[in-house]
Amino acid sequence: MGYIELNVLNQPTAPKEARALGIDLGTTHSLAAIWKDGRPQVLRVEGESALVPSVVHFPREGAVVVGQAAREQAVASPRDTLFSIKRFMGRGLADVAQELATLPYAASETERGLIQLEVHGRKYTPEQLSALVLRKVHETASRALGEPAPTRVVVTVPAYFDDTQRQATRDAARLAGLEVLRIVNEPTAASLAYGLDQRDKGAVVVYDLGGGTFDVTVLSIEEGVFRVLSTAGDTHLGGDDFDAALVGLAREEIAAAHGAEVLADPGCQQALRLACERCKIELSTAPRAEIHLVLPERRVAWRREVSRAEFEALVAPLVARTMAACAQALSDARLSTTQVDEVVLVGGSSRIPCVRARVEAFFGRKPHVELNPDEVVALGAAVQAHILVGGKRDVLLLDVTPLSLGVETMGGAVSKIIQRNSTVPCSATEGFTTYADDQTGIDFHIVQGERELAADCRSLGRFKLRGIPPMPAGMAKVGVRFHIDADGVLTVTAKEERSGASASIDVQPMHGLTDAEVESMLSSSYSHAQDDFEARRAADLAIEIGMMARAVEKNLNAARAGLDKESLLDLEEALARAKAAAEGRDAKALQKARDEFERASLPLAALLMNNVAQKALMGRSLDEV
Amino acid sequence: MGARCTTCGAALELPCACKACGALQPLAGERDPWTELGFEPAFDLDEALLRRRLLSGSRLVHPDFHGGDEAARALAEAHSARLNRAHAILADGARRADALVVLLGGPDESTSREMPREFLVEVLDWNESLEEARESRSWSDELAALSDELLERRAGELAALRALLVPAPPRGDARLALARSRLAAVRYLDRALGELEALRLAAARN
Repeated sequence: MGYIELNVLNQPTAPKEARALGIDLGTTHSLAAIWKDGRPQVLRVEGESALVPSVVHFPREGAVVVGQAAREQAVASPRDTLFSIKRFMGRGLADVAQELATLPYAASETERGLIQLEVHGRKYTPEQLSALVLRKVHETASRALGEPAPTRVVVTVPAYFDDTQRQATRDAARLAGLEVLRIVNEPTAASLAYGLDQRDKGAVVVYDLGGGTFDVTVLSIEEGVFRVLSTAGDTHLGGDDFDAALVGLAREEIAAAHGAEVLADPGCQQALRLACERCKIELSTAPRAEIHLVLPERRVAWRREVSRAEFEALVAPLVARTMAACAQALSDARLSTTQVDEVVLVGGSSRIPCVRARVEAFFGRKPHVELNPDEVVALGAAVQAHILVGGKRDVLLLDVTPLSLGVETMGGAVSKIIQRNSTVPCSATEGFTTYADDQTGIDFHIVQGERELAADCRSLGRFKLRGIPPMPAGMAKVGVRFHIDADGVLTVTAKEERSGASASIDVQPMHGLTDAEVESMLSSSYSHAQDDFEARRAADLAIEIGMMARAVEKNLNAARAGLDKESLLDLEEALARAKAAAEGRDAKALQKARDEFERASLPLAALLMNNVAQKALMGRSLDEV
Repeated sequence: MGARCTTCGAALELPCACKACGALQPLAGERDPWTELGFEPAFDLDEALLRRRLLSGSRLVHPDFHGGDEAARALAEAHSARLNRAHAILADGARRADALVVLLGGPDESTSREMPREFLVEVLDWNESLEEARESRSWSDELAALSDELLERRAGELAALRALLVPAPPRGDARLALARSRLAAVRYLDRALGELEALRLAAARN
């Protein structure tokens, strides 16, 4: 099934200047498509592949090489040839330690904590490297069109990309001299390419297993509106990992046959990686295939036959992780598998037969594979580009934000302000107040993720609200407004309502999480649900004890004057115990201390109430008490 | 309603934009979610109509269709965000009831967390099972049964809410406080159900 245009006759042809490109900027390869003759078309130069490998090679002398020619340098000069750049977008060194261990690159960090890769003593950020790839894609598009391609573009990102990664993608396009009309999520774009708007109504699942990332998205389609209900995924699971499973198998056997030192050579590593990738691809069509590694200069000629069954056993845990994400996405969309009308496979790795089989078994229906899974996303981006330049108004995408957003509260917990899977654009405002008397500023720490504690979520940025007029604790009213725009990019503003003092920030990327934490931000929130729950409860209890303690301390003089000795002693002891417990993180101990403290403060509360009542009777206003 | 388009004067179906001429309307102060989507505030709601209003409203105000100048785009972003928020509230029975209680001047979530008395006894039972589930961190038929029981209970609470809120009680009516306590029960149920669902998915993962 190709893309079938709905009302061709009613579509005025867009004037030439109102055109825009759709670009799929992928982990392993990138490509462009454009709306032409009433349908989206991949831009390819006659006799060449449309896919531009997302690879950049820096020769010792001469100009930088990008794409296929760069890829061919991988074995000869592995240190100067950069692969998998997308995995580094918007990340810090600590985030990608695992990637760096398997790639022969030198890396360091910028002042802002973002990664840069070093070649011949020069430093390049992933944005700069991606910009080189985007330029190459644009140049290829121009050659294919026979005229300069539009510089207005729609660029796709994995649905599960966080704010920092989206901003980095936008920056890369800007560096390449392109104007980004929209950042679109890859699975959502894929659903557009499939022309699924032909359905008047239905629920669609897009399973997108790419080179480096996995996404699953559940959409409902009604009256030409593609509304995303939920998305789930793993920014660290893709074809590269399937290759790595074969590499692991090969390394063991090569080390046994030729000695481990052969494997230390970066050229050998790259050659082996490519050999394993070839083997994987062959296994999609043949029951058995060979990993074939020949390095004459090292006197290595190694072959190993791999059966499909052996490969499937190796990658079974990876496939299982994708199915768990499918279950999560369905649960979030409140749908069962029987309510799904269509399943679409996207991404080169969805060609693997056991992946197809598992998807079919899980959803109980044959998935759509009619369109080339490497091209679907770019085609969909071209449809969206056409919509955005005003050429098509019968289709609308309503996408969601993949991760919850919140601010850190006292005690390190997270107050969620926008829940994951909220339709974008969305805004929410939350009220905050001061914690101490005469506090004139409030610090905000913005985080993204599903975990209960801020330290376990991804830090997006910090900002300070200043100029709050001095007033007693709890009197200030600060409204913090989060707005996520249609690109999924966040802005935060804050305002003190009494004084009008305001502060705003563009959220600046921060680092501080290990990659393992980022990739599993969502899934770990479930496996850690219990720990999180306890930690959250402890943090809340500590705050409550703090507030109770301040209230009691404020009224200690009254207590000394009006309470009997025993109650006073009891109260003082409970106060000391509660404050000590508040230093700790043991929820059970905190709960016990809080309850005892509350009990011990009852006589004081009664005394204060009496005082209030008496004073009221004496005609004094309550706030004088 | 009776509101009219500030550009062409046609009657407005939704306050965000004019269906007749397509003009975005000025961003007035916060509106309740019903008004935002062209409904009269009420607990009962035609869900298919609600969805159609979201879709037709989005077609009018989504920033995809207002890319021209910066100001129009910002206005479209703001209208879309309001529309999405109003839809999210109305599409969920409990959130809808919550908004209605507040709109009718009843107690809000922060002023009352009391749960219905008969409910508290059951909570003790459920808490025991939940505590065990948390510790075992695995899925079982008992937990599936508990999950079903909580879901059934939730449906019961929503039915009780409907009985309190249809027809809408006058402002300050005692039924609003009763509805608030039912909502506290729903909150408890939703938290417990969320925990159970997380356990089920974690078990499926292994």
